Amino acid sequence: MTAPVSIAHTHVHSLRVASGAEALVARVLAADGGTGFGFTLNLDAGAARDMAAWDALGRSKGVPLSGLLGGSYRKKIDLLEDQNPAIPPDWTALRKDILEGRHELLRIDPFAWGSVEMVQTIAAVAAAFDLGIALLAPNAHPWEVQYCTALAATLRGDDTRIIVRSVPSFSSISVSEMPGIGIDWTLETSFSSIQWLS
Amino acid sequence: MTTLSVVAIRLTRVSIPLTMVHAGSMYVIQKTERTVVELTLENGITGLGETWGTPEVYALAQRFAKTWIGKDALDRFALRDMTLGKTSYDNRFGRNGRATLAGLDLAAWDAVARSLKISLAELIGARKREVIDVVSTLPAAILPRAVSRRELTAHLDVLANTKLVVDFALEQVRKSGFRSFKLKSAAYSPEWDWKLLSELREALPEARLRFDPNANYGAATATELCRRLDPLGLEFFEDPTGELEGMARLKAAVKTPVATNMWVVKDEHLLPAIRRKAVDVVLGDLFMWGGIDPWRRMARVAHAYGLKPALHSVYETGIATVANLHLASALSEVEYPNDSGLHFLSSDVLAETQEVKDGAMRLPAGPGLGVMLDRAKIEKLTLESAEVRA
Repeated sequence: MTAPVSIAHTHVHSLRVASGAEALVARVLAADGGTGFGFTLNLDAGAARDMAAWDALGRSKGVPLSGLLGGSYRKKIDLLEDQNPAIPPDWTALRKDILEGRHELLRIDPFAWGSVEMVQTIAAVAAAFDLGIALLAPNAHPWEVQYCTALAATLRGDDTRIIVRSVPSFSSISVSEMPGIGIDWTLETSFSSIQWLS
Repeated sequence: MTTLSVVAIRLTRVSIPLTMVHAGSMYVIQKTERTVVELTLENGITGLGETWGTPEVYALAQRFAKTWIGKDALDRFALRDMTLGKTSYDNRFGRNGRATLAGLDLAAWDAVARSLKISLAELIGARKREVIDVVSTLPAAILPRAVSRRELTAHLDVLANTKLVVDFALEQVRKSGFRSFKLKSAAYSPEWDWKLLSELREALPEARLRFDPNANYGAATATELCRRLDPLGLEFFEDPTGELEGMARLKAAVKTPVATNMWVVKDEHLLPAIRRKAVDVVLGDLFMWGGIDPWRRMARVAHAYGLKPALHSVYETGIATVANLHLASALSEVEYPNDSGLHFLSSDVLAETQEVKDGAMRLPAGPGLGVMLDRAKIEKLTLESAEVRA
């Protein structure tokens, strides 16, 4: 399930964010004229393109990601420090480990798993098996946290949270009602300097 | 568009005669009763839903509807939690509660999809298929009128009567090109079931055949019968017995896949079914599962663990029939044909005819479900109706 949007063009641009890290920013131009953006700092453009398609659909319809996925289970998400490793993106291994009861809390890096659909599938399994789910913002970049927030709002389970690798400066984050994936792109000034192909 | 508030919900309980008597192990019926839901948003757009038509569910729907007025239809997850609570323990209304919620939930999904100008399939995830194969039910016996259980068993004692069911199946092939059939069993006579299924296999060598006694055979009898039926290569045995443990033992004893629409009907049933290897197919009913999102989650979990999700249906109007088509189109996990009983209804509530052609139905075009109510038709079928407004 990628976003149900007819895509006319996708462009991916490399960007240096304020921390010095390299980000890939994707722009999707939908057939209906809508535009959406996505990003990743792990240099796998697939996640950025998937995000951009959902963003394009949400913006063109004027609804946040939760409105496209069915709703939100919470308006505020806990943000916690957690040093435990995230689960590697190997679905076969994860399914087996879950069945064998090797997890209590699924630590998932949504950028590594690559798509909204994959996160939704893992979350459905987590809900059926009574497991918690924690979405990792691997670099604690504000865009990562905002994307994890938009996703976490749509996941069942009282244990749903966002985790980062260092002590966060705030303990929870409110879910954005902005159309699309809820990212404020102006948080990185270099975003406006991207020269997109027309 | 940040919210889509619900401003009115209209509920209409309808009774629709079937074109013939339908017999199974749980019923001998000649009509179906359903509750039609029309949910109107502040933008004036109305979504359609449907649920069971029992007086209990109709009353519950009115009760739930009152709490939905003024709430945001974009946030169906919040509406779900508000209506039935977060856990099964919180749901004080049991199966009726889930079915009632499913009717309102479907109307909300339809209203939102219409508002966003996308099809329901797209709102669920994608519109991947336009044509969906459907299954024709075969009654346990062909009866001239609704009969008592005693009269039914007397009919089943005459094994020559199986021919009537075979002839009926062949007529369905001629009329609508059906390639898939579900035989309802009265679970009275294993001999009747074996003979009838053998004759159906001979008459329809290429057809997909399902066998559904609704768990009314004991585990030992069912296992014996299903072993005997194994060589016929049926599509699956649907609830040959119960409960999960009996199903698991039976499944271990046969080669034919085993399906259920009775023993895996909510989230917490999935893990035991997977661990116990009790079924191959979760034949999920939209109303038993409580709506679109629980069904979608079930499909994902089932598929993740090698089970196949499929769509169960009884004698539903065009609204739920079309909703099932959208689910099948949206979710690539669904590979089996959809159950459908719409072609047995003498009338429908929709303006558009949902035709079965070459054993398949076409997904309607247009936003949401892509169908409209026919006021004149629904008025003729109405038992009672109520409207809740802001």
